Amino acid sequence: MSGSRKTVQQQDQAAGGRHGHSKAQCLQILRRLSAYVDDELTDSLCGEIRKHLGACPNCEEFVESLRQTVGLCRHNHVRSLSAHDKSRLRLSILKAAASA
Amino acid sequence: MMAPPSTNVTRRRPTASDGDGYARDVAAFDRMYQDNVDRMYRFAQRLCGQEDDAKDLVQETFLNAFRGLKDFRGEAQPSTWLYTIAVRACTRMRRRRKGEPERELSLEEFIPTSEGEFRLQIPTEGLSPEEALEHKQLRHNLLQAIQKLPKKYRLVLVLRDMEGLSAQEVGAIMGLNERAVKSRLHRARLFVRRELSAKGLGQQPAPKRAAVKE
Repeated sequence: MSGSRKTVQQQDQAAGGRHGHSKAQCLQILRRLSAYVDDELTDSLCGEIRKHLGACPNCEEFVESLRQTVGLCRHNHVRSLSAHDKSRLRLSILKAAASA
Repeated sequence: MMAPPSTNVTRRRPTASDGDGYARDVAAFDRMYQDNVDRMYRFAQRLCGQEDDAKDLVQETFLNAFRGLKDFRGEAQPSTWLYTIAVRACTRMRRRRKGEPERELSLEEFIPTSEGEFRLQIPTEGLSPEEALEHKQLRHNLLQAIQKLPKKYRLVLVLRDMEGLSAQEVGAIMGLNERAVKSRLHRARLFVRRELSAKGLGQQPAPKRAAVKE
């Protein structure tokens, strides 16, 4: 996962525009990305990932898209239950409880 | 926290003919219902995707809560207790309806293999999540991605990232240790991320930016 930006770009070109890392390298980084996004890693692990991201635009985009995904999940609001539905649901529950 | 009530409750519950005991149960139930019904409906919608299924789940959850109310001693937050009941009810309901086997998600399947997989298909850079979610297609894709998640991953993602519970609370609700919660959450996030990338969307051409409302 180390190497300069130029090296990674060269690797990408050699791979026909595809991500140039080995599967093992990818897994090593991939495994920690949620902890990285949640700021739960130790300083040294965090620094290691940051160093890699600075050298690999593809991985940087990947992490950014993961961060965006988490943000979308956190802010996705849903509809509330209407007062009518709340009251109707309460009655159904009490009816079912009484008849059991 | 006591264990959530099972479906096979054999002890006798107070009924309307029991007078005061029943009235006390209903009063306690009403307090719990008023305080938590919005939260549980929100949770159910995120979990089920469909309004009718969500209402069924809320009904099943509070019915089981009513039945177990006398044994709830308040060691846990009522909301945590209700989430636990809802998770079990959801598991039973889905098993009844589909009976599909639970798929395991491996980390390896999330390694990108083509260019379009590194970023989200609908760009959201420079936008707040709220602004991005004004984009109808993005909202639709997100909900669809969450519904495609195998249930045990979806439950963790919804509880942690959507309901905002801590990993420890999610663990208590699901009967998992914190490490297992984080592992499932990570896979669930990677799954949803991939679904929102070009790969998940079948390599469609990039649409307009999320800021532009349709």
